[in-house]
This record gives sequence, C-alpha cells and structure tokens, in this order.
Amino acid sequence: MKKTYVKFAALFLCLIMALSMVTGCAKTADNSGNNANNQATPSQEPGNADEGSGKISEKERVLKVMFGEHPNQPVKNFAPAQQEIFKKTNIKLDFEIVPSSNYEDKKKILLATNNLPDIIKINKNDVNDYGKTGIFLPLMDYVNNDMVHFKEKWDSIPDLIKVTLDGELYGFPVIARNEAKNGFGPVIRVDLLEKHNIETPDTFDELLDALAKLKEIYPDSTPWSMRSGTVKNIQKVAYMLGSGYGDNGIYYDYDVDGGRYVFGPATKEFKNVLSYLNKAFTMGVLDPDYAVSTKQQWEEKLTSGKSFFFLDNSGFGLNYTNNLRKTDPEAKFQVLPILANQDGVRRAIFYATTFTGEMYGISAKVKDPDTVIKFIDWMYSEEGSNITNFGVEGETFELDENGQPQFIADYVVQFKDAQPAPYYAIYSDLGITKLNFSLWACNTMTQFQIEKLTGTWSDLYDEYWSIVGNDPAYVEPVMDPPLTTEEAERVKDILASLNTMLEQEYDKFIMGVKDISEYDVIIDKAIEMGALELEQIYNDALARLQQ
Amino acid sequence: MNTKKKIKMSTGYKVFNFFNYMFLLLLVFITVYPMYYIFIVSISSGTYVSRGEVHFLPKGITLSAYKTVFENSDIWRSYLNTIIYTTVGTAINIVLSSMCAYPLSRKDFYGKSVFTFIVAFTMFMSGGMIPLYLVVLKLRLIDTIWAIVLPPAINTFNMIIMRTFFQGIPVSLQESAFLDGANDLQILWKIILPLSKPIMATMVLFYAVQHWNSFFSALIYLNSKSKYPVQILLRNIVIAGEFADQQTSIGNVESNFAVVATNYKYAVIIISVVPILMVYPSLQKHFAKGVMVGALKG
Repeated sequence: MKKTYVKFAALFLCLIMALSMVTGCAKTADNSGNNANNQATPSQEPGNADEGSGKISEKERVLKVMFGEHPNQPVKNFAPAQQEIFKKTNIKLDFEIVPSSNYEDKKKILLATNNLPDIIKINKNDVNDYGKTGIFLPLMDYVNNDMVHFKEKWDSIPDLIKVTLDGELYGFPVIARNEAKNGFGPVIRVDLLEKHNIETPDTFDELLDALAKLKEIYPDSTPWSMRSGTVKNIQKVAYMLGSGYGDNGIYYDYDVDGGRYVFGPATKEFKNVLSYLNKAFTMGVLDPDYAVSTKQQWEEKLTSGKSFFFLDNSGFGLNYTNNLRKTDPEAKFQVLPILANQDGVRRAIFYATTFTGEMYGISAKVKDPDTVIKFIDWMYSEEGSNITNFGVEGETFELDENGQPQFIADYVVQFKDAQPAPYYAIYSDLGITKLNFSLWACNTMTQFQIEKLTGTWSDLYDEYWSIVGNDPAYVEPVMDPPLTTEEAERVKDILASLNTMLEQEYDKFIMGVKDISEYDVIIDKAIEMGALELEQIYNDALARLQQ
Repeated sequence: MNTKKKIKMSTGYKVFNFFNYMFLLLLVFITVYPMYYIFIVSISSGTYVSRGEVHFLPKGITLSAYKTVFENSDIWRSYLNTIIYTTVGTAINIVLSSMCAYPLSRKDFYGKSVFTFIVAFTMFMSGGMIPLYLVVLKLRLIDTIWAIVLPPAINTFNMIIMRTFFQGIPVSLQESAFLDGANDLQILWKIILPLSKPIMATMVLFYAVQHWNSFFSALIYLNSKSKYPVQILLRNIVIAGEFADQQTSIGNVESNFAVVATNYKYAVIIISVVPILMVYPSLQKHFAKGVMVGALKG
C-alpha cells in the first residue's frame, strides 16, 4: 500500500513539474506564433509597403472573417487563394474557423454579446432577429451608390429582395456561379427493371406496380426505403403528389390561384399523399420500418441490394451505384424523369441554387467601411470569383477562350487519390469555393471539372445530370418573404401546436390504422388551429414585398 | 479460503452460479460491445461497413481510416492542445481546490459557514453563458489557453468531496504539527496532502476527464483553429453526418454526395478515447476508494 502511495506521489509531482514547464512554454510559443504571423506577411511580399496605388486598400489591412468549417473540407488560414487576394487587394483575410456542427452556438453568443469579427457568416433568421439591433452595417446605400459587381447581380436576381428586412440589407448573399441543378427525385435500380423485363414506370401508380413485381421476385426485400422519419419523407414526396409540405407545412404552390402560399396538410390534396403512401405500405412495397429508419440503415439497405428505390436527393444514386458495383458490376441506380401523379401532373422542386440562404454580415463597428465594401464588391467580380473558386491564375487555373476559368490538369492530378474526394482536397488546399469564404461561389462547376480531370467522372454522371437538367417538371424553389417580428412569433406559435397535432396523425393514415376518409376531421381541426391564418400571413408578406 | 478444505457445492448453488455467470457475462457483453464495435468498424473496409455487414468480426481489414486520420495535421495539433489543456487545467484544479477545501474543513476557520454557503451557492445558481462570456471577454482571456483552464478552476462539487475527506483526518494530527511549529501551509502540505492521496487521485481523474472531454468552452472562447482541442474536431467529424442528414429539407443544397465515412468517424473516436481510457486502470484502485471515502463521511 505504502509503495503505491509513494509511486503515486512521485507521479503527481512529475505531473506538476511537467505542467509548469508546459505552461511556460505554451505562453512563449503563443507569442512567437503571433509574431511569426505578423512578420510573415511583409517578408513574403517584399516591396508592397512602398506601393499602395491601384489596390483596394491603400495600406495593408487585416479583415477577420468567421464561418463554419465542414469536416470534408478543412480550412487553412492564408491558403493560396487568400495569398492571391492579398496580392491583388492588400487585404489579408484572417479566418476564424468554427466547426460547422456548432457554428450556430458560437454565432449566437457573438451576436448576443455584440462581439463580432469584421465579417461573419449569417443567415436570414439572424437578419430578422438582429438586423434592427444595429450590430450589422446597413448596406443598401452602399449597394446603390458604391457597388458595381454586386449591384449587377442584385438587379439580375429579383428574388434576392427577400433577404432584406424592411427594405434594408444587412448581409451580402452568397450567390452561386454556374450551379448544376438537382433536387429530390425518384431513383430506381434500372438494371433490375431490365433484367426482369419490367417496364420503366412513368406514373406513380406504375411505380408501385413495378416495385410490387420486384417484391415478388425478391420476397426478402423492402423495395422502397426511407430515412429520417415520416415528416422528412412527406416533405420530399408531397409536392410531386400534388400537394406540398415545404419545411414545416407551409409551402408555395405555383399551381394554386396562379401561385400562392398554402398550408399543405390542411388541404384535400394532401389526402392523396397519405393514401398513396398507405397503398405502398399495404402492398408491402414500402419498408415497414420507414418511420424509424436512420440514414445509415437506409444506406445499408440500398447498397446491400435489399432496397431498389428511393425518393430523396437523387444524386445519392451515383454513390450507391459505385458501392454496389464492387460486388455487382451490373448494378445501376438512376434517376427517373419525374413521374406523373394521380392527376397526370408532373412536378418537382429544384434545390435552391442561386441563393442558398447564406450571407455575410459586416460588423457595424468595422473601421473604414468604404474599403471593406469595395473589397466585398471585388469579391463579386469575375477576378475575385475566379480567385476564390479556382485559386491562382497560371498555377492552378487558366482562362479558356471564353474567359471562363479551367483548372490546370497538372495541379489537379496530384489529388487523384485524396479522401473523401479529390475535389474536397483541392478546395481545402487552395482555400476556395462555397465552403470557404467566397461570395460568388462555385460548387458543381469546380467539382465537375475536377472529377473529369481525375477520372472519377463516368457516363453515369453525364446521364444523371442530363436527365435532371432536361426534365421540365422541376421548378425553382420560392424563397420565403421576410416576416415582421410579430408575424414570425405568431407563425412559430401556430406551427408548434399545429405540427404537434398533425405529426401524430400521419403514420396512422400511412399504416392504415385510420381510414383516409377520416382525414377530413384532421383538416377541420388544422384550420381551427390556425392553418388559414398561416397562409394569410405568408401571402400578405409576399404581397407587401411585391408592392 | 485456501487453507480450508474444499466444500462440496450443492446443486442449487451450482445452478445459481451458472446463471449468475451467464448474467454477468451478458452484462459485460452489453458494456464492452459498443466500444468493441467502434473498434472493428474502424479497421474494416468502408464497403462492408456501409452495407451493414460488420457485426462481430472486422471485415476486409484495413488501416486506411487511420491513415486518413493521421494524415490530417489538424488532428495532431489538436491532440497536443488537448494534452496541454488537460495537464495545465488539472494542475490548476488540484492546487486551487485543495487550497479552498482545506480552510473550509477546519472547524476553527473564522466565517466558515458563510464561506461554505457562498461557495455552495454557485452549485445551484450559475451566471449563465452570456455573462460568463462577457467576463472572459473583458478579462481579455478570449483565444488564450486561460479561457479554457481558468473558468472551471474549481468544481464546487469536487471541492466539497475533498473538504469532507479532509474533515475525516483527525484534528489531533494537525494540532500536534502546530505545536511542533508548523504553519497552516506546512500543515496542508506535509500532513493533510500526504494523507489524502486517494482523494487526490480521484480528483485528478475527475478533473482530467472533464478537461479531456470538454469542447464547449473551447468552442466559444477560442477563435484560432490552431488552438482547438481534439474534441472539437472529433465532434465536427462525428456530428457532421447527422447534421447533413437534417439538412434535407427543400431549400438546402445537398449536391455534394461524398460523405464522411463511418469507419473514418470511428477511427477518430478510438484515437481520441484511448489515452484517457488508459488512465483509468492505473488509477482505478484509488478512484473507487476515494469516491467511497468521500461519500461515506459526507
């Protein structure tokens, strides 16, 4: 016993000694790190101190930018793209990087304590919650008077007005550049359809028949599987089946009264959605575990050949095909053109591509805002966008005959085997694209170029993008209009009780516990709880904006 | 036991033993399996993992997940940061907690009950996150190691366990030391602490694990990526999958199909958990004893 004590005491003392050394060292290391940072800049850029003409900032200037980091694309400080920005503009970007999983937490604290970095990534909700508090720089005057490149984009995308709050702009939206469009769509194992001579379905009813045939051939299978719970899946199928759900029930329907907001679950059309899913369920086509399956279980079913169909982000099919082909070289998931619903209508919604809801706000406390605005405007220019999405001209990209940037093959092939994907490794290496700090940002444009150069591109991809791209059924999503604080509160109140009531009901109808005729009672109840008031609020807000 | 003659076991006893062992084995399995599962997935090939074919034995054994993790230079730096925060933080915890606990354990300490009340009060009422952030901000601790190690310098609950343990040490020892000319610090250092090793070991473990696992204070107080502890990276990698999963609603782009592989996630978990896991067995004896002693007298 005594020995152990002695041993432990020794250990403890060692620990304390080690600690005191570490603390001492840590502190000095910190300081030297900072110094190195500060000194590195001038030494890397000899002779920039005496010039200063022609650049956006006369003097060398540091701007702190905060945004979230996606684990697929680690962000480095002062990567080649940021060095290039510094060379062109004399502005040195200092990134404060927060893990995307907790970005909201950190952002909320900084907003609540008014302790913002110069530039901070925000979203529409933050504008609604904090725009009036004066912590963000109001931007509308700058846009109208001082900005050229951004103004051009602002004028060409009228929908952007929806990010304003009472006519004032508090954040610069990240605008997508040359984005390929996709959305939720039906994806099926076309190889199995061919193998068993089943006709490719063209309507939602034919889809169930085709899946039922597959179920006969593979009795152990669950032909149609889902992930993430009932509501998430209703969000995906409702619009195609003639109703809609949006994020929480309220959605914009192009086909009702020439386009207006509708609370989906409180309409008769919504019965079609539930009865269709119920039919799939009773036919044994829909996975009996659909309501509780996680993404991982869903993927397992699809990549092990237990499920043959999903209606979700159709691009996942490409991944699962690659996975399946390791054991079954013939396997092939491919998206179908949008199927006709019971009314013979084909409709679907693209993902939001031009504006994805991300904005960069500028702190009201920023020094010399004119220069910052000039810099932001430059970020929206062709030059700024090329640098923030393709890196360094001559080293990592060249302009083709149309003046469009193209990655240089020699640079790209170095990353051929990188994980999880070559394009993420390149984005991370250069500090580029929409997961970094870019305002006119690429996503698919750069990805396609890189995949074609590294050889991960296949005919399957071409086929996929052409099916989705040429399908006239898809329409652009509609961005919600800005609501006043009172309206937003009211909407929150109504939705909370309404959705609690509704979400308990969906599964009963899908699983057949209740007959679909009983849904009329639910509709009445939903209207009683304020479904129509919700529609009213959204439609009024939209009308207000259009005036 | 050994000296006694072997007693013949009755059938009932044997049956009981059999079921008892079965039950305990099941319990062991339930406890160990999740950890084991994470380990085998981390060394299995991604294809089998995504198909859900890995259950009890690794399939297509490969270290590629670990290779990917180790190629990530951020992880190494964060690892070092975590070790620094844990050691510095624990040292501060132990020194301050024992210096706070000792006076409160003495009956002759003037105003003992008032101070005890003030200290205990913090257990039930905290200032809240925003005020705390503002304090740290005004003290200019933001983005330094001190923002991580100073705010949790004393955990009231741990300190009270420590005080209770100190109270159990006979006062006569302290009195005799005092008669021999020792002052209060000397008594603490030479009499109390050497007699309190079990509780100290317990506290080191409590505090060290707390530091090792903490990520939230680092998240809000640190701005530079180079200062992040490994838990933040781990959290980002592990949560990201679920997080992306939630973003499937209309209006969010999900056009990048590459996802963080499960085996990669699990490799990161293994790497970040193993060191702190290895501390347990070596301290366990003290640990159990320390907690019990503190609790019994409380």
